[in-house]
Amino acid sequence: MFEWLHPALVYLAGAFLLPFVPNGKARASLILLVPLIGLIPLLTMPYGETLQFTLFGETLTTFRLDRLSFVFSLIFSLAAFLSLLYAWHVRDTMQQVAALAYAGSAIGAALAGDLITLFVWWEGTAIASVFLIWARRTEGSYNTGMRYLIIQIASGVVLLAGAAIHYRETGSLAFDKLSLEGVGAWFILLSFGIKCAFPLLHNWLQDSYPAATVTGTVILSAFTTKLAVYALARGFAGTDFLIPIGAAMTLFPIFYAVIENDLRRVLTYSLNNQLGFMVVGIGVGSELAINGTAAHAFSHILYKALLFMSVGAVLYRTGTAKGSELGGLYKTMPWTMVFCVIGAASISAFPLFSGFISKSMILSAAAKDGHYITWLILLFASAGVFHHSGIKIPYFAFFAHDSGKRPAEAPWNMLLAMGLTAFLCIAIGVWPNALYSILPFDVKYNPYTSTHVITQFQLLFFSAIAFGTLMRTGIYPPELKSVNLDTDWTYRKMLPAVLGFVILFVSAVWSELARGATNSALAIRDTLAKFYGPEGRVAQVQPTGYMVLWLAILLGAALFVNLVGLP
Amino acid sequence: MMEPTVALLTTMALPLAAFVLCLLTPNHHNIRDGGTFIISILLLGCVLNVLSHFNAGTSIEYEALAFQPGLSIAFSVEPLGMVFALVASSLWIATHVYGIGYMRGNKEQKHARFFACFAFAIFATIGIAFSANLLTLFLFYELLTISTYPLVAHKENDAAKKGARTYLGILMGTSIVFLLTAVVWSYSIAGTLDFKPGGMLPTTLNPMFTAVLLALFAFGIGKAALMPFHRWLPAAMVAPTPVSALLHAVAVVKAGVFSMLKVGVYVFGIDNLASTGASQWLMWLAAFSILAASIIAMAQDNLKRRLAYSTISQLSYITFGVALATSMGAIGGGLHIVTHAFGKITLFMCAGAIYVATHKTNISEMRGLGKTMPFTFIAFGIGSLSIIGLPPFAGSWSKWMLLVAAADTGQIIMIGVLMVSSILNVAYLIPIFARGFFSPATGTGSKAVNADMPWREKLMEAPLLVVLPPCLTAIGCIVLFFYADTIVDFLNPIALAPSLETNNG
Amino acid sequence: MAKKKSDKSEGVDSIIVRSMSWVDDRSKVDKFFWGVVAVGILLTLLDLFYHKHVYFETENIFGFYSFYGFFMCAALVVAARAMRVVLMRSEDYYAPQDVEAEDHPEFDLDRKQADV
Repeated sequence: MFEWLHPALVYLAGAFLLPFVPNGKARASLILLVPLIGLIPLLTMPYGETLQFTLFGETLTTFRLDRLSFVFSLIFSLAAFLSLLYAWHVRDTMQQVAALAYAGSAIGAALAGDLITLFVWWEGTAIASVFLIWARRTEGSYNTGMRYLIIQIASGVVLLAGAAIHYRETGSLAFDKLSLEGVGAWFILLSFGIKCAFPLLHNWLQDSYPAATVTGTVILSAFTTKLAVYALARGFAGTDFLIPIGAAMTLFPIFYAVIENDLRRVLTYSLNNQLGFMVVGIGVGSELAINGTAAHAFSHILYKALLFMSVGAVLYRTGTAKGSELGGLYKTMPWTMVFCVIGAASISAFPLFSGFISKSMILSAAAKDGHYITWLILLFASAGVFHHSGIKIPYFAFFAHDSGKRPAEAPWNMLLAMGLTAFLCIAIGVWPNALYSILPFDVKYNPYTSTHVITQFQLLFFSAIAFGTLMRTGIYPPELKSVNLDTDWTYRKMLPAVLGFVILFVSAVWSELARGATNSALAIRDTLAKFYGPEGRVAQVQPTGYMVLWLAILLGAALFVNLVGLP
Repeated sequence: MMEPTVALLTTMALPLAAFVLCLLTPNHHNIRDGGTFIISILLLGCVLNVLSHFNAGTSIEYEALAFQPGLSIAFSVEPLGMVFALVASSLWIATHVYGIGYMRGNKEQKHARFFACFAFAIFATIGIAFSANLLTLFLFYELLTISTYPLVAHKENDAAKKGARTYLGILMGTSIVFLLTAVVWSYSIAGTLDFKPGGMLPTTLNPMFTAVLLALFAFGIGKAALMPFHRWLPAAMVAPTPVSALLHAVAVVKAGVFSMLKVGVYVFGIDNLASTGASQWLMWLAAFSILAASIIAMAQDNLKRRLAYSTISQLSYITFGVALATSMGAIGGGLHIVTHAFGKITLFMCAGAIYVATHKTNISEMRGLGKTMPFTFIAFGIGSLSIIGLPPFAGSWSKWMLLVAAADTGQIIMIGVLMVSSILNVAYLIPIFARGFFSPATGTGSKAVNADMPWREKLMEAPLLVVLPPCLTAIGCIVLFFYADTIVDFLNPIALAPSLETNNG
Repeated sequence: MAKKKSDKSEGVDSIIVRSMSWVDDRSKVDKFFWGVVAVGILLTLLDLFYHKHVYFETENIFGFYSFYGFFMCAALVVAARAMRVVLMRSEDYYAPQDVEAEDHPEFDLDRKQADV
């Protein structure tokens, strides 16, 4: 019935029609309607490849629905709905259009069956999302947006180059499991790695997300990186070296998260850390691990959105999201606090919350395949997550020392969005089988064994005890207004210096060369003018003898050219 | 439907008629501009007529003058020329409308001379597009140079004259010193100057000579702005913006790279270039040109100069496509002629619109202008994205084809060049658009805007005739994204060996 | 605040607020902390009473998860604190190319005080 309807096109059509609808409740309702309509083809279409086109002699598949793409496009749709509800009050047309186009692109990419279609949507997410950062309309956000855009587009360009090479190596553009024997697949992996914030390629994430608007950050947090996780799971499942990469990803952000002051940036570091778990799952590549990755992406999108929403609500009411400026807000924003705690409990993987039932799958899968060191690191990272996301975020925002701020509770649409998301976080934790049943593989898994529950509680309680002890002894680093250097220093401080020098150098050399060329051209012109100009030789009356001589020279030249030219 | 040959000749007669009309009506602005507008539409119809004949499989040829066997003034229709003629004739309409708005809105002088030269340049362009041999191509190439000279010098001040001198000097100089030599040499080798699928030069030619001859052509076709003979392009920026749009998107530069493609495909032959490796050096030079021009563009604050350097970089993509010596490269180059034409003409027309509305030429002064000129800046953004090669805009497909072509040759470095170039494009094009919308307005001349005003009152756009054409070409960039396949199918015959099958093995 | 609230009929939000008000009382926080410690110790002792399904030998060590959680977290904080010495810069280090030192623009906010 809806086989012509592509979910991404629903979003794009919505984005296109928006500006023609009066800006107010009518438009806000239309925006909320879009994800719901987008769900129709997703839920009604049978699995398979449809909506195919031919381009340059190759068949492109724009709608490939299978179990893996279904999970991701479903959670993208859910996240779109929830974050747009959260952004109900926004009356900035540009943000509305960008949000819809961004969500649509992410869903389009998740449904892409070939590398070209993937590229189109991949760049779509890059272009649409940057407007959510620019929408802040400050000098800082403009610059941050440019940095973000360049890195995102670079990822897309690398993908396109990889697709081109891969195409020539294998003759196929299909986006399935890719073999790393060819050069093309390495390019594609690099492209995914950039978007997935692999270590050393990660810093665009921490740089840009906290620079977006209140609602923009919530929307940003859901799509780009999880799209990369999907793409990795599709193309590179079972690639061994992703395990150490993922393990490193879970590890280094937690250190930064502890000393970071901007709570939205703390959350971005922990987002990066959570991506690490998924990348480990992809690297392990067993059915359980891929299931774990998909499940974790699903629950992660929800609880991460919930955390960003609650910190966003604080920012919305107080004008800051910095730990050093906040504290004691529970008194006047109790609901926001409760939702934040639910999100914190989920990300920390407390039993009965969503993070627990998905993260334990990845840990079990890693352990089952005997990745001992990785398992230890993941365990450490789990404890660390609780430390910096689970405790730090609610603690510094809502408790800690009283900042004296008495902001009003978040507006109803934010509370409703947070409430729905919080409900989902708990529901997934309590009834995991609903989520398990839509995972890519049929694997029986029970997270609620006594071993799991007890060990998890031991880990979490003693992380909390560590936090408390460090706080009471004053060892815990206080929140300070500061910036911490990360890898972005290389391209924010070092590269501009180098590039500035290169530009100066090239320009200088260039103008010299060009002047030389111009001068020789002018000299040639003058010489020609001397002969052919009105006063020149050629214009004068010449005796016949001269002409014969010239003719002879010309003929001789032609003859010479002939002789030389003949092979 | 006209007879094929008649249709072909009419495509050249129409711009000539416009030329005469403009000369006859120096003071009747509306008659001249209106008449030329009608003629420009007729021209597009006529080109479409030729296209329908061509698609029906008719071979359309006309020999005007024959000096001796293999040496004649003759015209014929083949896919590349057809595409070029279509681009030129359709964009002439846009540029003409824009030109009317610009010349009037900006209170420029000497409209008649301006539009007459404009029409004549289109005549020369169509002549180049349909030329059947190197001699004809050369003649019309020179005609184009001459007819655009008064356009560059239009303002008649010292800067304009200086720029025009550089313009004429480099284009004429290179064409006489290198191109003419190359033509004569080719004639002496091949005994003919007629374009021939697969190459008119014998395949047995010594690779060394092939490389030298190719160098004569590559540098002789100065309009392709291959470094180091690119200086005329920034110099020509003194011209009124419609001229820049015409020069940089439609007529002159595209005539240059079109000639490069013709020479690569029909004089040397792609397979011949590939087997001798004679174009290797050209590939490196084009790659250098792509990157160096982009880097220079980043340092320019004058918008038109930045766009000019961007053009130099983008033209080298097409030269690069020829030099890769694969059929995919040649077709990609042909496609890039189209996509870049639409993208870059949009950018130039927007630059002109900004100038008409605010008299600003420097990028640093354009912050915040998007709030009062949203249509212009959105069109500029679309044009930029298309030039960068991002979906859903036309430019993405030509870059894709060039990437595949580069992959064909196994030159990972060349793929790297294309990738880096895209990033550089982002770095020097997007800020103009983004700063327009997301930075507070600077300096004078910007209107105080408060959020409660109805959107129409916030506008401070240039006149409609100036704003509408870039909006239309911007839409063209989107439409072409979906029709690139058609163009590629159409261009496919220029590569005798079908690209997709041969390279998979 | 409690004064004002008592006038109104008590909503769920004020119940939440009241139930959390112990955090402002130092002695209650102390009690809470020691409560957590007590529960943690009890949880650790549970190891003696059930059969652990383990993948690695390490897990069989008594209280492994507890000790690992405690010491790794402490190490994490100490290490992070040390990182500050090298990595910390002033807030406007990247300014003006960075949002860190900027105020969040007011049009994106709706500052509102609670009616207390």
